[in-house]
Amino acid sequence: MRRLLLAAVLAAPLFGGFAPAQAEDTLSPLHFQSQSLLGGYDLAAVQRGFLVYQSVCASCHAASALHYRDLEALGLTAEQAGGIAAGVTLANGGHAGLEDRLKSPHLPGSAFSGAMPPDLSNIAAERPHGPRYIYGLLTGYLAAPAGTAVLPGHFYNRGFPGGQIAMPPPLKGNDVAYADGVTASLPQEAEDVSAFLAWAADPNLDARREIGVRAVLFLIFLSLLALATKRRIWRETT
Amino acid sequence: MDVEAQKAWSDRGWPKLSVWRTRAETPSLAREQPYLDTLPALIAGTLLVLAASGLVLAVYYDPRHPYASIGFIRREVNYGWLIQSFHQSGTTMLFGAVYLLLFRGILLRLYKGSGEFVWLGSVALAVVLLLAGWLGYMLSGGAVANASLMQASLSAEIWPGLPGRLAGWFFGGPHGPGTLARLAVLHAVLGVAVFALLLLLRAARKAAQPQAANPVAFHPYYTAQYFVAFTIFALIFAVFVFFAPHFGDNPLNAVAPSRLIAPINPTPPWFLAPLSAVRVLLPGDSGGVIAVLAMLGLLFALPWLDRSPDPTRRTGFLYRLVVVVLALDVLALGLAAACRPSPLAVILQIVFALWYFFHFLVLTPLLTAMEEK
Repeated sequence: MRRLLLAAVLAAPLFGGFAPAQAEDTLSPLHFQSQSLLGGYDLAAVQRGFLVYQSVCASCHAASALHYRDLEALGLTAEQAGGIAAGVTLANGGHAGLEDRLKSPHLPGSAFSGAMPPDLSNIAAERPHGPRYIYGLLTGYLAAPAGTAVLPGHFYNRGFPGGQIAMPPPLKGNDVAYADGVTASLPQEAEDVSAFLAWAADPNLDARREIGVRAVLFLIFLSLLALATKRRIWRETT
Repeated sequence: MDVEAQKAWSDRGWPKLSVWRTRAETPSLAREQPYLDTLPALIAGTLLVLAASGLVLAVYYDPRHPYASIGFIRREVNYGWLIQSFHQSGTTMLFGAVYLLLFRGILLRLYKGSGEFVWLGSVALAVVLLLAGWLGYMLSGGAVANASLMQASLSAEIWPGLPGRLAGWFFGGPHGPGTLARLAVLHAVLGVAVFALLLLLRAARKAAQPQAANPVAFHPYYTAQYFVAFTIFALIFAVFVFFAPHFGDNPLNAVAPSRLIAPINPTPPWFLAPLSAVRVLLPGDSGGVIAVLAMLGLLFALPWLDRSPDPTRRTGFLYRLVVVVLALDVLALGLAAACRPSPLAVILQIVFALWYFFHFLVLTPLLTAMEEK
């Protein structure tokens, strides 16, 4: 029994990831709760990230695997998600509903000189170390080092493979006003939108880990029980 | 109804039931058999999980839009992400058990004497499962799977003669919208047909069972042992499903396929990586296929490569050592295939692949003949 209690005490820090959403400093040092072994999403950051996505990224990028109803998983009520959808004007002049996919900009490739902005719904899974990559890209715009010839229509970005990206710097800081009072600095916005895109790529991570902890604990006890039963049965052989 | 009345009632309608019950309760099995003897049963259990989850996936899968339909299953279908994870991690557990079965067979020389048919059955099982696993990977529709299917179906087109025609029939021409529909059917058929192989394997295992001196009954002794094996297996399975659902998969396969972008390194999932690496030994696409077939064929030939005439003799230290080296070699082969393409990676693949053939063609006959003296 004492050994079990010890195990519970040792396991307690692992469950820190399930703490309720609150505005915590995840920038210094940069970390994403969802990237730890048992951590879940920081829903406050994901909600802020959706605001950044909606006001900045969505003007060029689609995220067509997501629906407005999926926002309810971020802790919004159906009315709040419906309100966000109703505020979106679709190409046909009507307003979006909960069952609609996030509005796609539907811009032709010629609007971007052929460098089509990728769909963002799965981008965090498609790039190695997705959230960190996105954060590094969004905060990676620098003046080109001396001797680097930047291609026409490109920008120097140390977070992008090859160092030159066709996307103009999307974030300048204070692009949005956060309702929870967090300062919308450029790194903060980049961190929040990375958290949102991590959620968009794997919206079931929280449920997966919650069920997983229960399943693993149950199976550990079941295997110990099975082992004890087996030894007892075999002891009775003659 | 008391228990005796229940037995009489069920025996009246289904006499076979009492035969099975008597057989399970008759002492006929040797004592203290190792836990790893449960591997075939664990493989059968995993195949049942794969069949059940595969049935759900098949209901929602659209071979014309493979990538989008896997996304649909993971995002829109209720608990689709869980069922898809069961299917994907199930292959990891399945091939883990299959590779362990083969390794144990080689290490303990279970392929000799009365174990010959068990060994041939195990290797046949592994080959069919590898084919079914490759087909299933093609169905995932990611960038890597797409590139791999494109390469396989195109090289099938240019093969001359009967192999080319067979492969053309298999793929239905170069990778087009109908190819995956065809492969989905073949994947499902193989996944069910493999149960027949398991029955054959079971029959061979029964025939190879030695007479026990002081036997015990299957129930309750071995049912208790199987239960332990199943729970521990399920525990490992759960860790993969819930905490590493994409274990051993090429991360590039998460990207949607594109006609304009080919993945730098289209390595298959971990259980196919050693086979993929052996392809570098012989030039050309058909050379690659021949190398893979030779790699698997050596496993079939193992009972006759072992030159020791006494089938019951235990293995010596040196033989065991080289078998462990062989396991590490196959592991290294897969890792070398997963590296970014570079001249060094290719050289390593060739070295490790040559060692594999050296082990079976030179070391095995030599050591078994030497240890006989």
